[in-house]
Parts: sequence; structure tokens; C-alpha cells
Amino acid sequence: MIELAHVSKRFGSEIAVNDISLRIPKGKFCALVGTSGCGKSTTLRMINRLIAHSEGEIILDGASIETYDPVKLRRRIGYVIQHTGLFPHWSVARNIGLVPRLLKWPSIDVQARVEELMQLLGLPVEEFGHKYPHQLSGGQAQRVGVARALAANPDIMLMDEPFGALDPITREKLQDELAKLQARMHKTIVFVTHDMDEALKLADHLVVMRDGRIVQQGSPLALLKHPADPFVESLLGGLERGLKQAALTRVKDHMNSLGSALPAQSRIPADFSLRQALSMMLRDHSDRLTVVDQHDVPVGELSLRKIVKEAHLDKGNSRE
Amino acid sequence: MSLRDALPTPRIHRDGLNPNAVLISLSIVMLAAFWTLDMVSMAPNRIVLGTGYSAPAAFGWPGALLATLLFCAISFLAWQPSQRHYQALLAAVVMLMALMPFGLIVSSFLLIEPELAQARLGLGAGYWVTLFILLLCLVELRLRLNLTRLWPTLLLSGIALVWWLCATLWLDSLALVQEFKARDQLFLRAVGQHMTLVGIAVSVSIVLGLALALLMRRYARLQKVAFTVLNFLQTIPSIALFGLLLAPLAWLAVNVPFLAKLGVSGIGTTPALIALIAYSLLPMVRNTYTALEEVSPVTLEAAKGMGMRASQRFWQVRLPLALPVLLEGVRITTVQAIGLTAVAALIGAGGLGTFIFQGLGQAAMDMVLLGALPILMLALVVDAGLGALAEALRPGGAR
Repeated sequence: MIELAHVSKRFGSEIAVNDISLRIPKGKFCALVGTSGCGKSTTLRMINRLIAHSEGEIILDGASIETYDPVKLRRRIGYVIQHTGLFPHWSVARNIGLVPRLLKWPSIDVQARVEELMQLLGLPVEEFGHKYPHQLSGGQAQRVGVARALAANPDIMLMDEPFGALDPITREKLQDELAKLQARMHKTIVFVTHDMDEALKLADHLVVMRDGRIVQQGSPLALLKHPADPFVESLLGGLERGLKQAALTRVKDHMNSLGSALPAQSRIPADFSLRQALSMMLRDHSDRLTVVDQHDVPVGELSLRKIVKEAHLDKGNSRE
Repeated sequence: MSLRDALPTPRIHRDGLNPNAVLISLSIVMLAAFWTLDMVSMAPNRIVLGTGYSAPAAFGWPGALLATLLFCAISFLAWQPSQRHYQALLAAVVMLMALMPFGLIVSSFLLIEPELAQARLGLGAGYWVTLFILLLCLVELRLRLNLTRLWPTLLLSGIALVWWLCATLWLDSLALVQEFKARDQLFLRAVGQHMTLVGIAVSVSIVLGLALALLMRRYARLQKVAFTVLNFLQTIPSIALFGLLLAPLAWLAVNVPFLAKLGVSGIGTTPALIALIAYSLLPMVRNTYTALEEVSPVTLEAAKGMGMRASQRFWQVRLPLALPVLLEGVRITTVQAIGLTAVAALIGAGGLGTFIFQGLGQAAMDMVLLGALPILMLALVVDAGLGALAEALRPGGAR
């Protein structure tokens, strides 16, 4: 668990982070969102003591981070940055094995762990192990960056705009993979991004920052439903908000049981989002969809009227 | 105007047809030098000034015509330079360079009477110009053929081997060879001294340079002072610096017996080394400092964020990443020191400079060459060797 209590950071007379308080329970994914210069990156770097905070307290697993040796603290926190920060003179395998080697793991264990992680992140060892960072594409390099951060199996991961420099397709692919990894590993993740869609897609807990202060925090759905002020609303996409909310809601939470009426032609899997359902209705000129399970067996029915009517109800964000 | 005419002509096609102006003009200059300047000179003994001989007289008509044919072939091939023509050009240039010592063997047969044991063959202006232009051709061909540094080095080593074999086996009459034979022990000792002086000066300046660069990174104020002093040292003419050291060091040697015991004196090795180190420090410190500063801050920040200690960050990240630029500094420093050490002979430190200054004093140009050529060779070898090492140490073997 990470807890920030009234934390501030001054650079000379300038105040970069202003009295923020934040609790990130174990195993949760917290995204810090805001425009550039809002202090989100500074906040992240205060957690692993790359920047010392000026006021307040940062507590990690019950103890103030100032009681830890900074080097040991950083070794138990995974750290991923935008431009990967891979060492250009080391091979991929050596880069990934860095922290375990710093922790003096036996070399056999290091090697096994490196191979395991490369497997996990879709980088075959035979093909990539001996390659150097400059021989990798942006997406591959950032996979290595993530693998390096995961190497010593830390409970906490700090990610500073990890996908910011990637093209949209690669970015989306890596986001999906991160979501899958997180569903399996339940790390405590602090994720900095300026991309609200990325934050909505990945986070359990969303923190919107502006000028060093927290403007609003809460679950993605809560923010979408009740943005605190016009700034948060504009970050959330203004008029697009409804669709973004729909993207976070599963079809199965809004479907009716199969009625006696003839089932609709268009079929949608139950774990798709309402946004995808709406898109399908528009495409197929239909206000009804048949909901199917993973074996393509009809299990329910979705109607446009019901979705619209229930839009304000708090019915199931699958990540809550 | 039809559409076809409006389209740009593909460039690659045109490039292939464009005559290579560089090689053509070089070969024309070479041809002119070959036929107008003296190729060799012959003197009955060391004292007398030699008489010059033009190409046909020196190499005989067949030799002169063979060389002319090769020059014309270079012009002709360079007129329509395709990849294959460039390869043929390289072969022609290498062949010319390898044939040059055989030309000298021919002239020693043609020009020197067997009964004149003292007679000596000197190299004429035309011979030097031809050699120099052939080297320029090699540079141009290296660029056109996109060869790595290693290739010309290998080719030149091969050519040098041919020259050396010719010189030891058949070219007793060549003045350079005679100068060498008259003092072969001295020559070897001078080479040894030269390399020792350079070696000590460069190793000391590497250590001092690294230490200074590290201190400068720690104390920002030192940086300005140190660079000002080093820049100032660099502006003193080398002969003046050797002279300036004479008085204080001689005084020290007389007044501090301990230092005199260590070998400190006004002339000789000590002042030479001090001056060499003073000159070597600037390129060394400047390159080391920039090399260490230029390492990407993102990489270093990542290293810190991963939990590497300051010493681990320096030895495992900063230094290895700085190494190629740092070695570049060592290369520049060493090449500079090899040249400067020649001047050190003036204050009795020995080395190859001895021959240069003795030769100048006796107006024996071949003796000057005996000192100058090995210095040139040493510099070239060190330059190529350290350059290749720096290349090999680039992060990840490339980039």
C-alpha cells in the first residue's frame, strides 16, 4: 500500500506539488492524469525518492519512505519510463536481469527469471536475448522496459508515461497486455499519463491533477458521471463522456433475459462494452442485439431503450 | 513538353554515368608530374648533390610506358565509374603503389655503375608527388566503395611489406637504405626512445586527464580555471616550452639533490616529458570531460531508478558509454604526442627527432626522411588502431 499525506514539493520558490493526499491500496492500479507540468511525474518520482519531497509524508507498507535506504527502496519498486532508459551497451537479456543481479541473485536464477519474463512479454529468448536496444522497435523496447521493471518481482510498479512515445496501434496493444498482466499479477501500480483514454482503460483509481494539486480522484465511472469541474469534464472529453462511460460498462450488466420475441439478427458477446454495442446498433440499423456467450449461444438481449434509460444508474463497473 | 520529359531523370542512373572528376584530375596531374619532374636523383657519394633523372631515364622506356598505361587506365575507368570500374581502379592504384619500389630497382641497375660503391639513389620530386597522389586516389576510392577503415589499412600494410622486402633485398643503393644501414642500431634505439616517451606521456596524461575531468565534474568552478590554463599551455610554441623549462628544472636539479637523483635536469627526458604531458592534457581532459557529460541523462536516471549505487552507475553505465569518445581523445592525444616528441630531440631527449635535426644540420635530406617517415608510420598505425578500437567499443557493437 502507498499513502501520500499532505505531500508538497518546492523547487526554490516554485511549488511543483501542492499538498496532495492519496491512498493506493495494495494491488490497485492508480493513474495520475493531467496536462504537462501539472506535477504528476514529480509525484511519481517522489515515491521512489528520485526527488525528495519537501513537506508531508509518503508511507509505503506502513513505514515512511525516509526510513528506507533509497537504493534498497528503488530495488523493490519497478520503474518504467517513457524513453525506456534501456542501457544501449547491454543486450536485452542483460538489461532485464539488472535488478536481480543488483540483488545478488544466483546467476542461474537470474537467467531463469529473464527467460520467464521474455516469454511472458512475447519476446522469444532465442530471437531477442542477445539483441541490443537499438535493434528493437519502439514497442519491443518498451516491452523490455516493462520486463526489466518486473524482473525482481516487485509489489509496486511506477510507470511514467510508458507508452507515450509509441504509435497508436502499438500503444493500444501494449495497454491490453498490461491490463492482462495486471489481472494476473495484482501489482500496486502508479501510472502517469496525459492520455485520459489510456487512464480510463487501465485504472481502478483515477487522480486528476492540475497545477500541482489534485482536482478530483475516484473510480473512472465516478469521475465520468460526476466530474468536479469544467477542467475535469474537458479532460474526460466533454460531449464524448457518455461514450467513454459506455466503454467502461459491460453488455452483460445491462442485458435482459431472452424474451419471447424473435431474437435480433446482430449478435454481441456478453463481455463486450456498451460502447461496442452502440456502435454495432448504429452499423446494423437495429435497436436490439442478441447477447451471446463465448460459445456463441444466445444468453440475453440488449435494447437501446434500456441502455439509455439505465445510463445514470450505478450498474457495475467490472473493475470495482 | 511530354509527360516523360517532365519527370525527373532517376539520379542513380545519372550518377553511374557521371565521370569521376576527382580521379580523372588526379591521374592527369600524376601523368604530368611523371613526365615533367625528376623521378630519381643519383649522387656518386653522400656529399655531392645528385643529378636528377626523368622517368624514361630512370625506369627505362618500358617502365615509363607501363606506368603511363596505368595512369591512362585510371582516367579511362574513372570516365564511366560503375561499381566494377571502381574495383578495377582500386586494383590499378594498389598495383602502381606496389610497383613503385621495383621502379627504383630498375633505376639502380640503369643508373649506377657497379664500381661506384658509394653511389646513392635519391627519390625525386616526381616520385613523391606520384606517391602522394596515389594515396589521395586510395582515399577517394575508399569513400566510393564504402570500405571500412580496416581495408585501406590492410592494403597499405601489404604495400608497405612489398616496399620493405624490396628495400632489404635489392635496394642497397637507395640513399634512405644507406642512411639506415649506417646507423641501424641507433635507429632502433631511437624508435624505442620515441615510443617510450610517447607511451609515458600518454599514460600519465590519461591518468591525470581522467582525474582532472572527474574533479571538474565535482567542482564546477574548477572547470573554467582548468580549461583556461590548459588552453594557455596549448598556445605556447613547443620549442619555447622546452626552452622555458630549461632554467627552472636546472635550478631544481642543482638545489634539490633528491630530484637530481630522480633524473631531473634542465635537458634530457624530464623536461621533454613535462612538456609532452602539458600538451597532451588539454585534448585528454576535454575529450574525457565531454565524453562523461554526454552520456544520456535518461539512461542515467533509469540506472538510478533501478537502484544502482553511484559507483555502480559510474563503472557500469557512465564510463562504458563514454568510452568510445574517451578513446577518441586518447587517439588525438597520442597522434599529437608522436609528432611533438620529434621536437624533444632538441633538448637531448632522443627519439626519431634526432635524425631529423642531424639531417637538417648536415643538409642530408635522406637522413631527415629516416626520422620523419617512421614518425609518420607510427602516427598512422596508432590512428588506425585506436580508431578501430573505438569503433568496436560502440554500444552494442554498432550505432
